[in-house]
Amino acid sequence: MLVACVLLSLVALVLPASLRSTIAGGLRGSIVVPLAALQERAEVSRRAILAYDASLRIADSVRLRASQTDVVSAENERLRQLLGLGAALTWGFVPAEALHGRGLGDDYTMTLTAGRNDGVVPFSPVVAPEGLVGMIETVDASTSIAIVWPHPDFRVSAMSADGTAFGIVYPHLGAGATRFLLELRGVAFRSALRPGTLIVSAGLGGVYPRGIPVGTVVSELRTAEGWARNYLLRPAVRLVDVTTVMVVQPRRAKEGVAAVWQTAVDSALRMVVGAGDSLAKRRADSLATAERARFDSLQALRPRADSLQAAKPRADSVQPRKPRADSLRAVKPSAAAAVAPAARPRPTP
Amino acid sequence: MISARGAWFAVVFLALVALHYTLRPVLSWHASVDFLAIAVLLVAVRARPGLATAVGFAVGLISDAMTPEAFGAGALAFSVVAYAASTLKAAFFADNLALNAVFVFLGKWTADLIFLAAEHRLSGSEFLVQALLWSPLAAALTAAVGLVVLVLVRPVVGTPRG
Repeated sequence: MLVACVLLSLVALVLPASLRSTIAGGLRGSIVVPLAALQERAEVSRRAILAYDASLRIADSVRLRASQTDVVSAENERLRQLLGLGAALTWGFVPAEALHGRGLGDDYTMTLTAGRNDGVVPFSPVVAPEGLVGMIETVDASTSIAIVWPHPDFRVSAMSADGTAFGIVYPHLGAGATRFLLELRGVAFRSALRPGTLIVSAGLGGVYPRGIPVGTVVSELRTAEGWARNYLLRPAVRLVDVTTVMVVQPRRAKEGVAAVWQTAVDSALRMVVGAGDSLAKRRADSLATAERARFDSLQALRPRADSLQAAKPRADSVQPRKPRADSLRAVKPSAAAAVAPAARPRPTP
Repeated sequence: MISARGAWFAVVFLALVALHYTLRPVLSWHASVDFLAIAVLLVAVRARPGLATAVGFAVGLISDAMTPEAFGAGALAFSVVAYAASTLKAAFFADNLALNAVFVFLGKWTADLIFLAAEHRLSGSEFLVQALLWSPLAAALTAAVGLVVLVLVRPVVGTPRG
């Protein structure tokens, strides 16, 4: 048997290629069919597994890119706001990148990439488009360090935006979630503030100019003192979002920045309203165009009863075309002719 | 009893052949498990040399059908290995698992060497790399899997004939 099998194998090996292919094809078409089908299924499964990995990789990269797009969009939005703030301040400010540390105590200070060479001096207010960030404490040649509002030494004289209540803003030194809030202390007892009331700097003390948003009232704090009210404030600026700030120079601070944030708000409102108006106008235009097109097409289909009359020269339409010796109107006949058909009421279709 | 055992044996044999055409393409390793070699050796240690050679020839021919360029090489390799295994089973196929593994390893490697020599496709360094690196690796992997198969099927198909 061995000899026979070996001989058959050797014969198969030395057969002409066409004959070997024929025999192999015959086997593949008969007894090997189920095995070939199994192998085909296995190959398809393997390709599917590999394709799944590849598609997963593509989906992951697309997701990553989408998340990066969100970050870039947010940064763009913030830079746009900062440009708006810069345009409102006009002069006397130094833009700087805010470097967030991750060490102990870095919750209280912020390193800025602008220093003495850029015109930064100590006790300059640091602001962001949302409001007050802190104050410059130390200045080096090219960098500076600012204390930010959670710093235990942070103080700012403040008032409600309508000027009815005054007080001093402190960091809220509680524990837990309320640690990163602010307190408005020493508000006269008669001045009750509602939650949501905007608190701005009062301009007293000579460091922070009047009108910089500091925070909004969250709730009243119960204290033992009966002569004044204290309020818990939600800060206007979230420090984790701060990437770029403006250092307001003292000369600019003396000039006052009260209108800056109002202007920024107004300009933002104007932009929103303008965008809404343009959208509405575009929509109205498109509707009018569509209506006109519909009307014109109907008019083109229908014979007009007055078409012959319209073709006749009319006494009141021909006259303005005549050159008049004493009139300046004759200089602009086309304008009158252009206005006249538009002023005429159009017949309804 | 014998027919039941024979039926189980046929099932195991067919399962190994099916695994060769399903699991092996999915794994797609360079040194992959040769389930056909395990199936041939499983038959060889339980059958007379003549039948074992015939089964080896048939399995080899089936595998050659997928590779027409080397048509006959697989049949030759499996015929020789099946005959040799069936002849040498008394020496190798004891209850010692390590000996069984060596048996499968040698069977697979020998089959590969005969196949490589018969097909005349590789030469020089390529032949040496395939013969001395990839084939032994594949043989080792086949031996490991063959050992597992032997342990699993021994209660069902019984011990080899002495």
